[in-house]
Amino acid sequence: MTSPAAAPSVEPRVRRFGRLNLEVRQSIPRWQHALYVILSIVAGIAISAAILLVAGVNLGGMYEEFILLTFFDRLGLSSVLIESSPLILVGLSAAMAFRVNYWNIGIEGQFFWGAIGATFISIYDIGPPGLRLYIMFALACAGGFGWALVPAFLKVRLNVNEVISTLLFSYIAFQVVLNQVYGPWQDPHERFPHSIKFDPVEQLPKIGWEKVHLGLFVGVALVAVMWWLVERSRFGAYARLVGSNARMALAAGVPVALIVFLSAGLSGALSGAAGFVMAAGQEFRLTATMAAGYAFSGIVIAFLARNHPLGVLVVAILIGGLYTAGQSIKGFYGVPEALVQLLQAVIVLCVAASQFFVSYRLRLARE
Amino acid sequence: MTAALALTGISKAFDGSPALDEADFAADYGELHGLLGENGAGKSSLMNVACGLYAPDRGRVLRDGVAVAIQGPRDARRLGIGMVHQNFKLVRPFTVAENVLLANPDAGGGRNGLARAVAEVERYCGELGFALDPAARVDAISVSEQQRVEIIKVLMGGARVLILDEPTAVLTDEEADRLLAMARDLAGRGTCVILITHKLREVSRFADKVTVMRRGRTVAVGRPADLDAERLTELMVGAAVRDDGVLPAHAAGEVRLDVRALVAIRDDGAPTLNGVSIAVKAGEIYGIAGVGGNGQPELAEVLMGVRAATAGAIAIGGRDVTAAHVRSRRRAGLASVPADRYVFGLAADLSVTDNYAVGGLDNGRYGGGYWVATGRMRSATREAIGAFEIQGAVPATRARLLSGGNAQKLVLARELAGEPKVILAHSPTRGLDVRACGAVHAHLRAARDQGAAVLLISEDLDEVLALSDRIGVMNRGRIVAEFARPADRHAVGRAMVDHA
Repeated sequence: MTSPAAAPSVEPRVRRFGRLNLEVRQSIPRWQHALYVILSIVAGIAISAAILLVAGVNLGGMYEEFILLTFFDRLGLSSVLIESSPLILVGLSAAMAFRVNYWNIGIEGQFFWGAIGATFISIYDIGPPGLRLYIMFALACAGGFGWALVPAFLKVRLNVNEVISTLLFSYIAFQVVLNQVYGPWQDPHERFPHSIKFDPVEQLPKIGWEKVHLGLFVGVALVAVMWWLVERSRFGAYARLVGSNARMALAAGVPVALIVFLSAGLSGALSGAAGFVMAAGQEFRLTATMAAGYAFSGIVIAFLARNHPLGVLVVAILIGGLYTAGQSIKGFYGVPEALVQLLQAVIVLCVAASQFFVSYRLRLARE
Repeated sequence: MTAALALTGISKAFDGSPALDEADFAADYGELHGLLGENGAGKSSLMNVACGLYAPDRGRVLRDGVAVAIQGPRDARRLGIGMVHQNFKLVRPFTVAENVLLANPDAGGGRNGLARAVAEVERYCGELGFALDPAARVDAISVSEQQRVEIIKVLMGGARVLILDEPTAVLTDEEADRLLAMARDLAGRGTCVILITHKLREVSRFADKVTVMRRGRTVAVGRPADLDAERLTELMVGAAVRDDGVLPAHAAGEVRLDVRALVAIRDDGAPTLNGVSIAVKAGEIYGIAGVGGNGQPELAEVLMGVRAATAGAIAIGGRDVTAAHVRSRRRAGLASVPADRYVFGLAADLSVTDNYAVGGLDNGRYGGGYWVATGRMRSATREAIGAFEIQGAVPATRARLLSGGNAQKLVLARELAGEPKVILAHSPTRGLDVRACGAVHAHLRAARDQGAAVLLISEDLDEVLALSDRIGVMNRGRIVAEFARPADRHAVGRAMVDHA
């Protein structure tokens, strides 16, 4: 045996910064998962409070504004629910597409086509008044569905990147809306760039509690439908496989292209439904600004809800609360809009960061 | 004398399930030390402790008799311990020299760093007898060449203890022999080489010493010469397992899988199948032997339906399916056990139930399209777990957490569930230990005995010889020779390498 060369020896020692070990978790109990999410929300609120303190806002009043007047006050809660109605739908839309790894960034375009469909029925008074809202809803869904199918077709047939195509399709939809509200559909009475106001029969009825309208029920009903679709139907079982491993799904006989195509279309239809709820429930007309921000809200909601329909319902209401609280803080304290958005971003980022602690465990290394 | 590397009383648990349980290991300079064990026996885990990737819960690591604390690969490197992992850690668009330089910044350094790295790579190639172009991009060279890059990387880092983790799993027999001969040579020149493997042949032919592990513990240390294959197998698996290879007489029926003059191209446009014709009958196993890279994966993909044929015809049970979707092929009676379990076989992040039940969704076994009976899915999965002895699994377990053998059993359970007419099995035992291999072979034989036509594609000649009723040798995208059982091993081997 050859004589060993002297190996450099390292004495056992403790490293101050090397003592934290990172381990991948194989699994995590539900309560622990929930605990991390709650802790992250608390952390987000704490950081937000610090930011507000620096901005010179009285924190005592802020708590009241942020929590009590938003979620535990009749007027506040009703605003949250109104704010949440379209958010639930765009959240479901993003979740449906993301489930099969189809990155639908064009939610706003599909939202617009939903609103255009509803407005079209309203302007030309198509169908009996009693059925008017149903027809508007159907055409809105069809509009979003149809608009989403073109990029979906390009994706499954020619492998065109849907991130780019759906996004660009949103711009086209926006230009169409501009053309309508500055052109043929412009309100003849007011010279604003929006369409004429919907007739009362074309407006979603109030449910009799403050100003909350039926759009909330549309959202909740579609949450139930989507839960059934993804959790209990064969389509959902296939979609789960496609989303997890498309090649395996294909080899197992799943019609992958069809599932992706339909999921993308369905995502578009849900965005279209959000456009309908916005047009018939809140704006009562087609406007050029009504879709602004819904694509990113939908993506954030789907991400935080981990693409689960019931999760979307909860997260959409919380995000709705965050937006509502932001508006009132802005109103009462004269805090700039940018700061409100910063606070919202901080809280969302904190929740997103909790994923790290769900996936990994930090442990002190033994000496 | 003190060992070059010694690990004593090492314990390590992941989320409470122990991977290592008071394991001991010692290897010396100048020896090729085989570390033998089944999949999941803890071989890789133990060596990952030595190279600083895992921190042990208990136990000590001694280098040249001195207790050391290895807190990361950098410590291991400084201590002269280097490991070549199963999954290579190379930057694919970089060249060989750039990869080497990246791992050993001090080897180059300064303005002419890359030139010096090139020279170093050439020097090592000369010493080790490697043929390697330092300027070639890593994604353009073969797997065995990538492995050589890894070895040079580690040696250049000053490794005097070289750990090779299942190095031959990705190599052909010939390449494997060459690699192991190189390892022997390195050991002969004073390096301590540790070979992690589950192949008895490699240990008995090449190793000076062997340590056998089972279930996280060290069960035996000795010289391979003193331990015959039977004894080693027994140590590895705990009880004697024999793969007898005796086939009952049987009558082959009508042609179930008829492949005629099949032509296909690879993704990069190069021709890969140049007119493959095979006819597999009911009740027989037709084995396709061949050296890797002669079109076997593409043949499997074309038959599965995930790659298009450019010419030729495929019929299953008399029905033409050449252009049919996978779903139609499956309805016609095709089942496939793919080579890459986590690419075409399983969705790693989904549950065992999701992975198992996909086979029965289409035919309404779990209810109609509008309401999937999840309860029935779970109970069927539970039955399959029992029937196929899938260990460490309940219906809700994520497929990722299964060991290789159990993952393959899950694939088999799904694929054999519908009494398929034709079974395509591509390298069904790749990476599996002796016991799991035996189980897979038994399932394939049982399916054959029940009348299925089985097409076995494997680069493991022993497997093809042991299982097949007829053997076709694939060479350059064609079947160049056919043999009936019992086939002459040498004749088959000649057909594999001829015509090249």
